[in-house]
Amino acid sequence: MKILSIDTSCDETAVAITEGAIILSNIIWSQASLHAKWGGVVPSLAQREHKERIDWVIEKTLHSAKCKVQNLDAIAVTVGPGLAIALEVGISKAKELSKKYKKPFIPVNHIEGHLLSPFAQSKYLKPITGYRLPATDISFPALGVVTSGGHTEVILIKKIGEYKIIAKTSDDALGESLDKAARLLGFGYPGGAVLEQVAKEGNHQSFNLPIPMIGREKEMYFSYSGLKTAFYRLLEGKGKDFSKKEISDLAASYQRVAFSHFIRVLEYILKSKEYSQVKQILAGGGVMANVSLRKMLRDITKKYKIEVLFPYSKKLYTDNAAMIGIAAYYKFERKEFLNPNNLDKVERVPRAKVDKPLPWE
Amino acid sequence: MKIKKIYEASVEEIVEVLKKNGLVIMPTETLYGAMVDATNPKAVKKLITYKNRPFGKPLSVAVNDESMAAKYVSLNETARELYQKYLPGPLTIISKGKHLLVKGVESELGTLGIRIPDFKLVLDVIEKLGHPITVTSANASYKKRPYTINDILDNLSQKQKALISLIIDAGELPRNEPSTVIDTTLDDPIVLRQGEIKIKESIEVLSRSVEDTKNIAKELWQKYEKFKGVRAIIFALEGPMGSGKTQFTKGLALALGIEDEIISPTFILEAEYEAKDINEILIHIDTWRMQSPEELLQLGFNNQIKQKHVFSIEWAEKVGNIIRDYDEEVIIIWVKISYSKKENERLISWGVL
Repeated sequence: MKILSIDTSCDETAVAITEGAIILSNIIWSQASLHAKWGGVVPSLAQREHKERIDWVIEKTLHSAKCKVQNLDAIAVTVGPGLAIALEVGISKAKELSKKYKKPFIPVNHIEGHLLSPFAQSKYLKPITGYRLPATDISFPALGVVTSGGHTEVILIKKIGEYKIIAKTSDDALGESLDKAARLLGFGYPGGAVLEQVAKEGNHQSFNLPIPMIGREKEMYFSYSGLKTAFYRLLEGKGKDFSKKEISDLAASYQRVAFSHFIRVLEYILKSKEYSQVKQILAGGGVMANVSLRKMLRDITKKYKIEVLFPYSKKLYTDNAAMIGIAAYYKFERKEFLNPNNLDKVERVPRAKVDKPLPWE
Repeated sequence: MKIKKIYEASVEEIVEVLKKNGLVIMPTETLYGAMVDATNPKAVKKLITYKNRPFGKPLSVAVNDESMAAKYVSLNETARELYQKYLPGPLTIISKGKHLLVKGVESELGTLGIRIPDFKLVLDVIEKLGHPITVTSANASYKKRPYTINDILDNLSQKQKALISLIIDAGELPRNEPSTVIDTTLDDPIVLRQGEIKIKESIEVLSRSVEDTKNIAKELWQKYEKFKGVRAIIFALEGPMGSGKTQFTKGLALALGIEDEIISPTFILEAEYEAKDINEILIHIDTWRMQSPEELLQLGFNNQIKQKHVFSIEWAEKVGNIIRDYDEEVIIIWVKISYSKKENERLISWGVL
């Protein structure tokens, strides 16, 4: 069962071919590689123009998996959440392929992709290590945490395909909050990854920043706007010139507090009776690639004797299409696909929610 | 269409043309203006066609002195002070109209913008004519500001050119800003457009909390709600990181009756929310990640404006030029949020462009 998947939900143009949870190829045309290609600043016009590069990325994906479209079993695509005009490009391309080659069409929610990204397996390695286990080993209900540039969600997984968002952000996403803090410290966009590097050298106790929502974790939502404001105030109060050491300390302190808030809300959930059956957590999204966050997450899950599963490769944390292929595989098994001659009702759903069916479902 | 050098033109000739429903292009101290007799329905209709102007957008007029102004609008104390202090000069003062001019010159709300240009020829023409004349800029809507006659003619269709009776050419005008526009019909004067003349904004309120910020947004919505469905309404938000632009938008969404939670659109650039009860769409845009203002257009901004949606645009200053291009057909409420002394305090000021 081979699936070609496309994700153009925001900045990256991503295409993958998967077989079950095994990744045969996973190509991402990212802003980062664009930067490398252009040797610096990217012409903004090219940046969000998925249209210009999608065919090339599909070609490359097929080539790398040594596949032809006619030999595949289905076409999957992210229909939301995401930027409407960006989603549109992937959806029309997927429709085109589905119709041309008469392949079943599987519309996928981007967040479900992140959620199931820990299931992904490399075609080169047999799944022997603990954290690359297939979904059959999951006991339900499980929890999912997705933290990325655009999303910060804790999701109850009743079973694969049946979700309930139990905590989400009320303003900024965690990744966005880190990017903005990085910007305030003078780093370019996206600065979250730079912030992590710089923070490694710093002492997270050097600056006092308020942990958001402290004592109010039971309200079960995330809020990063107050922390952003406090950080702005802190930097402004200190003037302009920071030493290298100070910048590291500021980065470390900010990151620590941002993560603490996330962990505290999660801990409240883990402690509560309602979720006491949870034995496993699936963790995905770009921010999960952050080593300190993963460490904090491991520590807290250990305390509650819960296993936490992460994707096996860095490429699976940030936006990619392999994770869409995995979610699509389960949807296909549940017969949640459409026939190629019945795609008119499929459209982009920019604010799709993982716990709500798609409009036509 | 006749073109005359300014030194060849006579006041009498211009007045004759105006009396015969004519459209005259004349220089002022700011830009070239398109002028017709504001009491002549045929002439005003011609001007609206010439400008290619959306329905209901008011035209400002020029008078030669305060007493002529007083015939057509009620001047309150604030307005009188401004007339004394700044006119003649590049300032348009909006007052409550007396409905004596042709329909379509005053705004939908019955207000009228008046100025006294600091340009002798224009003042002489008005005095001789005995009526106010329109002084809208001579470019067609959305086109280049006219500092030379070519700026105007290069952007006109043959049809538009045919509507002009007379052009008074004074060569290239100094690149002055359009006039400052100030609204005196409310308790405190509001600067609607900032030009050369800088008048201190007095609409500035202190928000003591996030809740206050949301409430201010709600009040602003109520103030401009009447344009819903008639024009697109843009709340252009400007303020440093963490000042509360998303919070302001949350307040706006509450006022619109949107049930979904508004979150920051930084990553996704744009989010659309449906206000079911009032059949309206709120488009929440964040330009922070955009590298050039044109990306706003790539998102389909032009089309969304045509649909007359409500917008909240964070970091609006980054796309200010694009937003201003629409100022003739769109209600633009420019909101500035800045930090104040205390932790949770913000200063919020606004003006309509």
